[in-house]
Amino acid sequence: MNVVIMGCGRVGSTLAARLDRESWHVTIVDTDPYSFRRLPSDFRGEKVVGSGYEDHILVQAGIREADAFLALTQGDNRNLLAAQIAKHIFGVRTVVARVYDPFRGEIFSHLGLRTFSPTNIGAEMAYDALTQQD
Amino acid sequence: MYIIVVGAGKVGHGLGVELIEGGLHEVVLVERDRNRAAELREELGEAVVHGDGTEVVFLESVGARRADLLIAVTADDGANLVACQVAKHWFHVQRTIARVNNPRNERLFHLLGIDSTISAPGAILAQIEVDLPEHTLIPLMRLHGSGLQLVDLHVLEGSEAAGKTIRDLPLPTETVISLVVTAEGKPQIPTAETVLQPGDEVIAVIRSETEPELRRLVSDAAHARVAD
Repeated sequence: MNVVIMGCGRVGSTLAARLDRESWHVTIVDTDPYSFRRLPSDFRGEKVVGSGYEDHILVQAGIREADAFLALTQGDNRNLLAAQIAKHIFGVRTVVARVYDPFRGEIFSHLGLRTFSPTNIGAEMAYDALTQQD
Repeated sequence: MYIIVVGAGKVGHGLGVELIEGGLHEVVLVERDRNRAAELREELGEAVVHGDGTEVVFLESVGARRADLLIAVTADDGANLVACQVAKHWFHVQRTIARVNNPRNERLFHLLGIDSTISAPGAILAQIEVDLPEHTLIPLMRLHGSGLQLVDLHVLEGSEAAGKTIRDLPLPTETVISLVVTAEGKPQIPTAETVLQPGDEVIAVIRSETEPELRRLVSDAAHARVAD
């Protein structure tokens, strides 16, 4: 399976390493080549420098052959733009976007994207940690 | 009308000044940068609000629910797209207009139901085409969320359309020929019997996806290849 990941931050690089270990063909895209230092030294996937919401960068990253696309940068709007380009222009079947604003995430999950909100997940885990029985 | 303008850079500021001073509409101008917003408040008063125009909670606070129109004109296509989609799908705002900074995003914006898009590079490219003697089709304007657009067709010598009556033209469905301006500059309302001549300008309403078909119809052989 081919997967393109936009954003090589902590989440993007961790997920890329995991999928690579599980034998996915991974391409990771980031505007900052320095971010690729977060990938493990035995990472076998491709690294592409550029913005994941520009057509030619997506094509270079193999979006036409991708089974899945994940937009995992810090910017909600950037993620939603790139995810919708992947879905509607390139017809990628599974498209995931990280969206901090939970309301915004909900809207776009109704529009055919898979979204998750680190805000909700973080609050949930903090609550669990607070209320767990020792 | 109640109009929300998202983004108060050069474009948003210019638009805000016109709309606010025009006094016809209730207007809110949204700016994300706190300092810029404070500065503009001095100039334009309370219509300027500091906040993120792509955020649901913020838009709710400026009354997006009763807005008739949202115009997103930031320098960031992602923000413009999301502001319009949130307005449409969460607040059911009737009409949305987005500035498109990268002309390649125009198609996506239309696919996603943004009613109108404004692209400065796109508009300039169209103007360059106007000045080419052999231009064939120039999109003039998208019509309100219907997949229809207004175009200017230029009938070339040796094209399939040249010398034919409108009745005999193999027009794609839902094409309406609205106006013919002859090479001498005479406008006329066409009938089925009007014969198109090389050099005629034809203003027509067409379904967007039939653009290549119409381009071929008015092109000569050499330009038809380019159109493909």
